[in-house]
Amino acid sequence: MIDGVVRREGDEWEIPAGFVPGMRVPGRFFLSDTLAALLEPGAVQQLANVATLPGIVRYALGMPDIHWGYGFPIGGVAAFALDEGVISPGGVGFDINCGVRLFTTPLAKADIKKPRELVESLYRAVPTGVGAKSQNKISPANLTAMMEKGARFAVEAGFGVERDLDRCEDRGCMKQADIRAVSPKARARGIPQGGTLGSGNHFLEVQEVSEIYDEVAAKAFGLKKGQVCCMIHCGSRGLGHQVCTDHLKDLETATKKYRIALPDRQLACAPIQSPEGKAYFGAMAASANYAWANRQLITDAARRQFMRMFSVAYEDLPLVYDVTHNVAKIEEYTVDGRRVPLCVHRKGATRSFGPGAPDLPADLAGIGQPVIIPGSMGTSSYVLKGTAAAMERTFGSTCHGSGRVMSRSQAKKKLTGKEVADQLLGQGIIVRAPNEAAIADEAPDVYKPSSEVVGVVARAGLSAPVARLTPIGVIKG
Amino acid sequence: MSFEELPHTADVKIRASAPTPGALFGEACSALMQVMYGDDRRGGVQRTIDLEAPDQESLLCDFLSEVLFVSEVDALVFCKADVCLDGLHLHAVLDGEPFDPLRHNRGTEVKGISYSGLNIRHDAKGYMLDIVFDV
Repeated sequence: MIDGVVRREGDEWEIPAGFVPGMRVPGRFFLSDTLAALLEPGAVQQLANVATLPGIVRYALGMPDIHWGYGFPIGGVAAFALDEGVISPGGVGFDINCGVRLFTTPLAKADIKKPRELVESLYRAVPTGVGAKSQNKISPANLTAMMEKGARFAVEAGFGVERDLDRCEDRGCMKQADIRAVSPKARARGIPQGGTLGSGNHFLEVQEVSEIYDEVAAKAFGLKKGQVCCMIHCGSRGLGHQVCTDHLKDLETATKKYRIALPDRQLACAPIQSPEGKAYFGAMAASANYAWANRQLITDAARRQFMRMFSVAYEDLPLVYDVTHNVAKIEEYTVDGRRVPLCVHRKGATRSFGPGAPDLPADLAGIGQPVIIPGSMGTSSYVLKGTAAAMERTFGSTCHGSGRVMSRSQAKKKLTGKEVADQLLGQGIIVRAPNEAAIADEAPDVYKPSSEVVGVVARAGLSAPVARLTPIGVIKG
Repeated sequence: MSFEELPHTADVKIRASAPTPGALFGEACSALMQVMYGDDRRGGVQRTIDLEAPDQESLLCDFLSEVLFVSEVDALVFCKADVCLDGLHLHAVLDGEPFDPLRHNRGTEVKGISYSGLNIRHDAKGYMLDIVFDV
């Protein structure tokens, strides 16, 4: 382990205050010994930097998929008091409300006689990769509605059903959205990209439920062994990226105005209650809403391919849940015996609300929130459930994925995209992408093993495994 | 004048060098375009960018963010940027071509230009920068 970091117990580690000057609280993160060997010093430094921010409550937290990012590390979680705390775009990221959703089908793997045809039809139905444009004609008024209403915009326009909203965090809409804080530049990027997947680690994957760990929760989530599912991973596209860029600049000025000392410019921030902080929060919420609408549009396009190819009904393709990875939200927690609202930043981390938590649909109130953890192209994805322990230890948060261990340049040197695709085909997994490099960049072994990351959150009690999903076909952006 | 990709686990880290600050900014622009669209990029369509910023790092970030914006919204892929720096004022002429989905599909989207790890320096041999693109 990196010098100065102390093991507390089991998989929990502490970065003591003083590791970098000005830390207001310690840092805490969760890693097995296997994952600890892969930890980058830069990620520890970034987590320690987060602990210097004004108003931070308890700890700067790192999930087991922690890795070196910009501003906050990826896998970083921090909560701030509303009166003296700050909000920072560096704690959310450029891809605001990048997230994952999962819908099920009534099909078994054997029902998919022509998997390549399914993958190709999904690839054609969902615009994918650099420069891809929306197939939906989104007007400026539609864009406004996407930012104000989120997933509901798409449902009202016929791209989903009311029940889909019950299966999204915040019913797919942050009410604090303030479209006045979204620049014309961000809008210009948002219009042509509504309903597009993007590139990089974004994907759409056809999967099979290969193992059930918790029958009761699986039943409540609508998951059965052998069932075919579809997982979608994407975010707020250029609109969210531009909102982050614009407000980072404004908050840099604000950081100086409010005399906040920062160890990293990418942590630019402002008091939550300041005009600059409120403007960022409003624009971030509008971007989060756009992302929910975007995932809803993609879900609809994918559902229609299943309907066309397998004669299944729309209502037979229900959403299990939609989770958000990059966001700041106001949530209540018990701190020093008192319930207080906090501004919780999750950057590459997933909400993991336990039984009885607010915002859960009535039929899941006794179970906990579905937590969806995507694997990489060749490895399993997992569905878990939120826990009371996460509410107590990590501000209701858990990991968001596997976490990279290899740079893109290293990945390309190791194997070509064709070699990776052929290897996966050997395992029965069909990959479709606009170019070979996109496949090489995201090869399975550039990520930490998803089972190892999920094992840590399960042992730490931050979420509990419900089901394992294995890939059948993958569309990469 | 050149640029190279350095190891970075999650994102793309670029090191560029050039004899003058203006040329260095031009190299950073080429690196950004290469990451997004690959190396088959041609000229023919021009765009200009004029900016000022409180310091050189901000000027570079703002410039590359603007290139990203213009490229995406106007669907243009740039092969060259002539950048003139006058103190903290920037004037750039970008040369490029319309996005072609068949030739420009070898890269990955850049979501933003990061300040983390951004470093511009110079020595007797010229100017150098390190910058991280979020992908």
